[in-house]
Amino acid sequence: MANVEFDEVWKQFASQTAAAVKGLSLDIRDHELLVLLGPSGCGKTTALRMLAGLEEPDGGDIRIGGKSVVGLEPKDRDVALVFQSYALYPHLSAHDNIGYPLKVRNLSKADQEAKVQRVAEMLGIGHLLPRRPGQLSGGEQQRVALARAIVREPRVFLMDEPLSNLDAKLRVHTRTELKTLQRELGTTMVFVTHDQAEAMSLANRIAVLSAGELQQIGTPDEVYDHPANLFVAEFIGSPPMNLLEATRDGDSVIAESGWRIPAPRPATASSSSSEQLTVGLRPEGIAIVPAGQDGGQAAEVVAVEPLGSEVIVDVRVGSQALKIRAAPDVRPEPGSTIGLRADPAAVRLFDRSSGLAIH
Amino acid sequence: MTAELTAVGGADQLATERLAARATAPPPRPKAKAGPVEWILVHMTFVVVCAFFLVPFVWLLSAAFDAKATAYIQFPVEPTIMNFVRIFTEHDFGRVLVNSVFVAVSTMILVVVTVSLAGYSLSRLDLRRKDWITYAVLLLQTMPISATMVPIYGLARQLGLRNSYLGLILIHAAIELPFLIWLMKGFFDSIPRHLEEAAWLDGRSRIRALIEIVLPLARPGLGIAAGLAFLSAWAEVLMVVILIDQDSLKTVPLAFYEAMRNQGGYVEVQYGVIAAMAVIYLLPVMVVFFAARRLMVRGLMSSTRGL
Repeated sequence: MANVEFDEVWKQFASQTAAAVKGLSLDIRDHELLVLLGPSGCGKTTALRMLAGLEEPDGGDIRIGGKSVVGLEPKDRDVALVFQSYALYPHLSAHDNIGYPLKVRNLSKADQEAKVQRVAEMLGIGHLLPRRPGQLSGGEQQRVALARAIVREPRVFLMDEPLSNLDAKLRVHTRTELKTLQRELGTTMVFVTHDQAEAMSLANRIAVLSAGELQQIGTPDEVYDHPANLFVAEFIGSPPMNLLEATRDGDSVIAESGWRIPAPRPATASSSSSEQLTVGLRPEGIAIVPAGQDGGQAAEVVAVEPLGSEVIVDVRVGSQALKIRAAPDVRPEPGSTIGLRADPAAVRLFDRSSGLAIH
Repeated sequence: MTAELTAVGGADQLATERLAARATAPPPRPKAKAGPVEWILVHMTFVVVCAFFLVPFVWLLSAAFDAKATAYIQFPVEPTIMNFVRIFTEHDFGRVLVNSVFVAVSTMILVVVTVSLAGYSLSRLDLRRKDWITYAVLLLQTMPISATMVPIYGLARQLGLRNSYLGLILIHAAIELPFLIWLMKGFFDSIPRHLEEAAWLDGRSRIRALIEIVLPLARPGLGIAAGLAFLSAWAEVLMVVILIDQDSLKTVPLAFYEAMRNQGGYVEVQYGVIAAMAVIYLLPVMVVFFAARRLMVRGLMSSTRGL
């Protein structure tokens, strides 16, 4: 058990022009489950591999438990990594795969056996132990890989998209289990994924990366409710946040379509540059009101997507397409006109030129 | 330009139609039963081809057991096993065999160790100018070995490697290494890197991970490398003739050569003796082939998969 620190870490691959990781600084607390989230190529896996010792950083420092691990061989870092491909040894049985890190540590045969059995029981794979990886399903292989990581009681768990090869149902099931498991074991975990729903459901905190740079770090609620910039606003949430270009007018902003949205001028913002704004509205931050109602903005219904527990209404305000999350019984006719009202508390403002949030 | 486009479009359309035709075509009918004439023709061809390849072996076997063997195939005129007895009593063939086995097995071991390390390095390590090194290895393979006869002779003399097992083993290994290094590089390329990375993270050093995780997975490749190295060293003639002239170090190919020369000059060749030697010479090849045939087929198939 240990905390993990990335201190201004840089990584540049010879084969690429742009740096894979640019000055990444992160403080991962002991017992925490931190998710590194970002689109493919954002540097999240590189960051994880540097922590594991499979890549060396070109600059900066990485510390586990307060001690720098830069230059240390992977075997000397006491971290366990679950690969996306699981990387089970195909020529060894599930039992020997799980027992391998114990064999490496020269544990007595009896101790090895006891630990393997305990972990196998914990993950419900006791009956699979004699089988080779080739005879296991994807989900079973995933559990064996997890068992191999758990059995050695490392200081830190590293997970490189371990759920992405599972089918959708199993993925949702496994992520719940994983979260429970991590809480019970109390081991620090760094989890890499490109799936924002997975990140939201698992994480104590999410670190959003893009193009090798940290965009924001915070709890799932923080990154969802208060995205630090336009990238995070667009990346987190499904459907994503509606973004409208707007200009300031007193205590409200006026979108290009002419929609006047209440947005009190923040006390701190005064510069004229912030007059060119982008307004962010979550799909649930817009209420549907009867057309023509006072203060409502007229919008044309384009499509209605019933999802069972909710309905996504696609509307058009002028030339701007918006998605609105509504109660399951709301079914406006496509082609009809409805009224929209933005919840003032849900309005987020961004500086259009820098993309940064204005608080 | 337009014509070209149309042509391309036309070809496309044809391909699409063919695909559609294939998709809708009924499943192929079971093969019609061959008529008797066809059956006879097919089997006769088969027998002729087999006979063509088997004739030398038939001669070997008949001559080896014939006291009056000639250069022609004949049923043993005077059946005997004396040819076999004579090669061991008069020609010291036991010693020759031991030499050959020792040289071939040592070459095999040296080759397997070397190709494991070299193939792995070329597959995994970040070396500067790795592609140059890799192609240089291939270039070596394309050199005709006879072109290097003279320098190899000179080199072996300078280094005291003439008339020594070590000289033979080194040169036999060197002949086979370039191709087998390429072969093993292909095998290592096909083994996911994640497996050894997992082993490192499980606490193994690079070399132990190679031995415990990577090499067991490369077993078909090592099998084929070992088999080919043994067979090549077993069969190699040229370098043996160049490097060895001491009787106690003779290997089988040299024993053949001398059996032809010494037994009555070139006038009266003792065909029975030579055939008996050849029969025994072929035995280890058969053993290696049958012992390793599954592994070798698997190895050859997976080595060409990456090409």
